[in-house]
Amino acid sequence: MPLSTNQSQLVEIAVTGAISQPTLRYPGYTLDDKGVGRVLPGMSGVVYNARVGDPAFGWAADHVEPGVSISNADNAADFALHYLTCIGNRAIVTSGLAKGAEGIVTGEHARLLVDFGSDTNDLLCVGDSIQIIACGRGLAFDDYPQVELKKVSPNLINAIPIEALDGQRIRVPVTTVLPPRIMGSGAELNSEFVDQDLMSGDRALMAELGIDQMRLGDLVVIPDADHRYGRTYRKGAVSIALCIHGDSVMIGHGPGILTLMTCPIPCIEWVIDPQANIARYLNIREMV
Amino acid sequence: MNVRTNSERLVSVSVMGQIASPGFPGLPAEPYRLDADGKPFLLPTYGGIVYNVSIGDSAYGWLADTIHPGVSISLKDDMGNRGLNLFACVGNTAVVMSGDARGAKGVVSGKSGRFSEQVIIHFAKADRLKMAIGDKINVRSVGVGMELANHPDIKLKSCSPEFLENLEVTTGADGKLHVPVVAVVPPHLLGSGAGLTSEGGSLHIQSADKSALKEAGLDGLRLGDVVALSDYDSSWNHGYLRGAVGIGVIGQGDSPRAGHGPGITLLMTSALNGINPVVTPGVNLKSVFSLQE
Repeated sequence: MPLSTNQSQLVEIAVTGAISQPTLRYPGYTLDDKGVGRVLPGMSGVVYNARVGDPAFGWAADHVEPGVSISNADNAADFALHYLTCIGNRAIVTSGLAKGAEGIVTGEHARLLVDFGSDTNDLLCVGDSIQIIACGRGLAFDDYPQVELKKVSPNLINAIPIEALDGQRIRVPVTTVLPPRIMGSGAELNSEFVDQDLMSGDRALMAELGIDQMRLGDLVVIPDADHRYGRTYRKGAVSIALCIHGDSVMIGHGPGILTLMTCPIPCIEWVIDPQANIARYLNIREMV
Repeated sequence: MNVRTNSERLVSVSVMGQIASPGFPGLPAEPYRLDADGKPFLLPTYGGIVYNVSIGDSAYGWLADTIHPGVSISLKDDMGNRGLNLFACVGNTAVVMSGDARGAKGVVSGKSGRFSEQVIIHFAKADRLKMAIGDKINVRSVGVGMELANHPDIKLKSCSPEFLENLEVTTGADGKLHVPVVAVVPPHLLGSGAGLTSEGGSLHIQSADKSALKEAGLDGLRLGDVVALSDYDSSWNHGYLRGAVGIGVIGQGDSPRAGHGPGITLLMTSALNGINPVVTPGVNLKSVFSLQE
């Protein structure tokens, strides 16, 4: 039984973007942690073979954005796409060969990330328009007002098996615990906009904590992190987040972590569940 | 100092900036920023000539957001501003080239990062009174390219030969570079700036959790204090790595915003645990460079 929310009050509104072309700044090098210049794909475009449910680590890529990345060329419209779209929203192709095909929003990086599945991907072209039925801004639990929800659609919140523990606390399944000391790039941004990378540069630590097993679409917890108005260290705070993009070779970067729930006091408990992934919750694909 | 450098081979080159005006975002005219608890605030922030906040003053307690002590400069031309932000080194001499304060000399004390990208310069208070926004200031930059002969693992960034000389860094019996610092910042309290370049800009201490700040001994920091960063590798960007150590200087003041707080301008880094920070009270640019009031 999902926790009760105010979802009947939410407005559904269209926002739109177009499939983005990957870009590189000449001469295209990204410096890795040893200072070696690498040329790697990952961001933008249609990514045919990395999808939510796949590993977040191990791709020969940088910040790989699973599925289809879309943005809007108009700056204000692009911010609306960013600020109004929620994870789990429905997306519809509105131009090109795949017109009418439906997908699901699975993340927000510098562009919005949408999963369509490989049959549709084959028909998609850079520049095709994708419209999103944005819904979820304003969503709140009726009985847990201290837990703030961010960019989570009613679909997704109702699909995650969240338990009510008592009048104050809820419990959320996650695959992975991220210590606050490894939270990096994105700390300079507001927490309504895109994600914050976990810093994967300490490879031994990634293996010790099992973080290197994380998958795209996994739910994770960051203890002692308050993500209400920006992202900051605060003892006792808890944030639940979603892994939206893949690992990076750059210092201070790594898989992208997007905030879904946050509370400045210890009101969110977690339970480790290797199956806590949106690919399963949103019926996007079978999970191995 | 028992440490040799290649400083005699460094090239000194001019980089110019103009005194930057404080700025606010345009319409819709919403001047507020939100603090870490979501409360709107409207306070002075970076840029401009700051008359009453100087290197040596407290980094905390000002009614301001990441205030820059002294004078902040930038160049409107983006590529030129990058040259200024990358080549200016802490300790470089800056000379006022136009306006009523022409000829006044200052010392580069820090830098700011993404969204402002200014170079922060200490000038005597009397000189600040004669300055106007837009005045040209030439920085005689020197330091980029500097290396330490016996410490190949250490990278120097925004670090002038004068800073190394005056700070009296030494090679210890353990083979590490011993650097006096007032405090060591633990990685969980480092926030904004992580993942961004370490050649310029700033990495901020997160100050929202006041008791964590106190526990780490960071609640008494002053502008210009030399500090160490533990488990942070700043070789190219700033990022977490056990055993890595950085050295920086408190370049700007505290902030009410989440993920922010006093900003650090990075001066040296070792990914291989080659720096030994020696906690010593009072290590501050004010005394390192004998700055005038």
